[in-house]
Amino acid sequence: MKRYLDVYKQGMYSALQSAAAYRMNFIVSSLITLAGNILFPLVTLLIYRAGTSFPGWGLYEVLLIQSVFTMSSGLSSLIFGGVLWTTMSHVREGSFEVILLKPLNPLFFIIATTFSIDSVGLFLGGVSLFIFAAMHVGAIPVLFWLQFAGMFIAGTAVLAGLSLMMAAISFKWVGNSRISELADSVLHIGKYPLPIFPKAVQAAATMIIPVGMVGFLPASALLGRVHASDYAAILPCFLFLAAGIWIYRHMIRLYEGVGG
Amino acid sequence: MNSFKQKWLICRTVADVTYKEWSAYRTHSMVSIIVGPVYFMVQYFIWTAVYGDHSSLGGIELPQMIRYFGATALIGYLTMDFADWNLSMLVRTGKFLTFHLRPIHHRSFALFQKIGHRSLGFLFEFLPCLLIFIFIFGVDMRPASFPWTILSVLLAFLMNFYVNYTIGLTSFWLVQSGGIRSAFMLVSGIFSGALIPLDFFPHSLQVIQFFLPFQYIAYLPAMVFTGHYSLGGLELSIQQAVGIQAMAVLITFGFNELVRRHAMKQFTAVGA
Amino acid sequence: MMPVIDVQHLTKTYKTYKRGAGMGQTFKSFFQREEVVVHAVNDISFAIGQGEICGILGPNGAGKSTAIKMLCGALYPTSGEIQVLGYSPARDRKRYVGKIGAVFGQKSQLIWDIPPIDSFHMNKAIYGIANPDFKSRLEELTELLDIAHVIEKPTRVLSLGERMKCEFVMAMLHRPDILFLDEPTIGLDVIAKVKIREFIRQMNKKQNMTCILTTHDLEDVEELAHRVIVINHGDKVFDDSLQQLKLFLGEKKRVNFTFAESVQGTVFDNAYTKVIDRLSDFQITLEVDTAHISISDFLEDISRKHRFSDISVKELPIQQVVMNIYENAGGVDE
Repeated sequence: MKRYLDVYKQGMYSALQSAAAYRMNFIVSSLITLAGNILFPLVTLLIYRAGTSFPGWGLYEVLLIQSVFTMSSGLSSLIFGGVLWTTMSHVREGSFEVILLKPLNPLFFIIATTFSIDSVGLFLGGVSLFIFAAMHVGAIPVLFWLQFAGMFIAGTAVLAGLSLMMAAISFKWVGNSRISELADSVLHIGKYPLPIFPKAVQAAATMIIPVGMVGFLPASALLGRVHASDYAAILPCFLFLAAGIWIYRHMIRLYEGVGG
Repeated sequence: MNSFKQKWLICRTVADVTYKEWSAYRTHSMVSIIVGPVYFMVQYFIWTAVYGDHSSLGGIELPQMIRYFGATALIGYLTMDFADWNLSMLVRTGKFLTFHLRPIHHRSFALFQKIGHRSLGFLFEFLPCLLIFIFIFGVDMRPASFPWTILSVLLAFLMNFYVNYTIGLTSFWLVQSGGIRSAFMLVSGIFSGALIPLDFFPHSLQVIQFFLPFQYIAYLPAMVFTGHYSLGGLELSIQQAVGIQAMAVLITFGFNELVRRHAMKQFTAVGA
Repeated sequence: MMPVIDVQHLTKTYKTYKRGAGMGQTFKSFFQREEVVVHAVNDISFAIGQGEICGILGPNGAGKSTAIKMLCGALYPTSGEIQVLGYSPARDRKRYVGKIGAVFGQKSQLIWDIPPIDSFHMNKAIYGIANPDFKSRLEELTELLDIAHVIEKPTRVLSLGERMKCEFVMAMLHRPDILFLDEPTIGLDVIAKVKIREFIRQMNKKQNMTCILTTHDLEDVEELAHRVIVINHGDKVFDDSLQQLKLFLGEKKRVNFTFAESVQGTVFDNAYTKVIDRLSDFQITLEVDTAHISISDFLEDISRKHRFSDISVKELPIQQVVMNIYENAGGVDE
């Protein structure tokens, strides 16, 4: 256990060092991500500016959903964001062996060595937007915060699972740099109030690919708009993460040639 | 006329080779076939909810709005390119020199490549998504006027190419053009109209769009498709809109030519 | 002597896809592709004792890398048995790889943007190396390889030779019992090659470390190996001592000449010299049997007769070695 902690610490240290080596680049790309985040709720702003709305949802309530979504993406991207790109490049160069040569769990090793410090802009952008939106929705009781925390963690688990599944696909779709767009498109659903979608999409977004937990449900918890039945959606989130881990490990085994 | 014939031959060969080269990335098209409809679906429900009881927003009715988003998605498949990324990569790695030694402009070469690449996009991205929009989402994807829509999409094809190529040219002066490119992509993503029709923007921002390249790439052709163009309080007929678009393409081409000549001077002087 | 590596009937096959040419073919390949089965390694058996340096030789694509990946535990064999240090490499991978070291010439384990010393610390954490051990080994290794002055610089500014030396430190910090080397000298200049070979020899002698190296450079094998296995098209075609290999090959070298004057019509062939290639009237490649004449005598002899502007002396290319083995029927083992 201590060894795993040491490796993770060393991995974070290396990531910081690497970012420091390209200071300018790091600052510029962080600023652009930050700007991109401020512009992300633009569509929502323009819709409300035109005097229309998502029925039953105020502007700041929708912004709250979108800020929670961004925070969750930022956090998951910090921890798991590098897995896809690292896996993809190792598979393309045929150098995945380098990872298999380490006396550690390969998935852990990749996660530990790809701490994506670049995503700090994303996370902080989400946090600022969150504070701004939360200040406009009225007082939030402590109980709601607790519910929010639980759902937020579950949502981050969904994102982690999705990252691992995308990385698993990169074993098959060698060199396809567009794989991440698949995850992005599905996640798009989590940025808006789920009730605007038809029942079938709502069910899929809470039970099968629980993207509803990434932005919508935790924000609803803060607003006191969740029902008891919504808590049932937490379980599928962790199942989804487990599925991501299982698929990724399965792809490693295929890479090793177990199936062949 | 002989030189024209030769150009045509080069164009066909380059386009054909590019087509084959990119066929190897068949999974790229699969990504488009999944991603395009998912985004469209989200747009579909967002706008269905937003319209609610409103029968029309800013003079556009819901079915027109859905048609608009279908059109921007499909036009994207026909006009996208990586001319900027490709050129900056050639400059950074020094491979641009090999093009400088050939009896053909790299710009023509890149345009021919785009033709090949988009032919592939037409078959494996545009057509499948068109069918999905029509048969699964039940959207009426018949343009208001076929000839004007085709002309407008062709102009958008050129517009996007010349704009991206100009961005790529900046890498002759800048070592790290990555920052410029992502900033540009960000702005272009907002003002192209793919996220939200431009008439939702504040009036002044709408007026500026006439003098910026972005609307000519997606918003204008998509509006020509719906048969109704308005921006900045201006209502234009389809013919007038396409006329303005043609002018914008000409100006962009001229600007690109200017920058290209400077870049070539820079290239031969510095050998960058 | 108990073998530390025991390989029985090792086989690896994998599937790949045919890609068609032409517009129609590419269109078709979008929907269905034709499978092709490749036999990368074909029923190979061998055993290697502790402290041996064994070279696995073969042309590009012969199956050497596939074989070494299976020995390292990164690939499962399709069939056959591997026992290394009492482990089955792929099955006991996590425990097994802690006992071995590996340097893959074209697959860096160093972190590109930061100094090697940080990558070394990463390995310290990964292998759980105790602090005092880490310090003393790092000092010893950097001294042996003469890289104390580069390990604090960012990896991306180092020369290929310096980087390769650091890769060796990465592989050796945890004192492996066996070191696997895949094309360790590829692309290196002569001085770096000599230094790295010297290092391998010392580690072998001092720690009685077993060493397996794949290469397509005959020189690596000549300089290092006690034992040579030659693989071609996935089959083992030779497995014996280096002396035995030399017996088959003869002591031959290739000399490329660029003459200063036309040598059209000149006959070079004799008892110990053979013309291999006549590129032009000025450029000729000769094969010299150094068992009969030393290279220096040969050069002295030829320079008395002709003026030349350039020469280079090389080992036989690996393809030639494989051909010689085939020609010599007794060369095929078993």
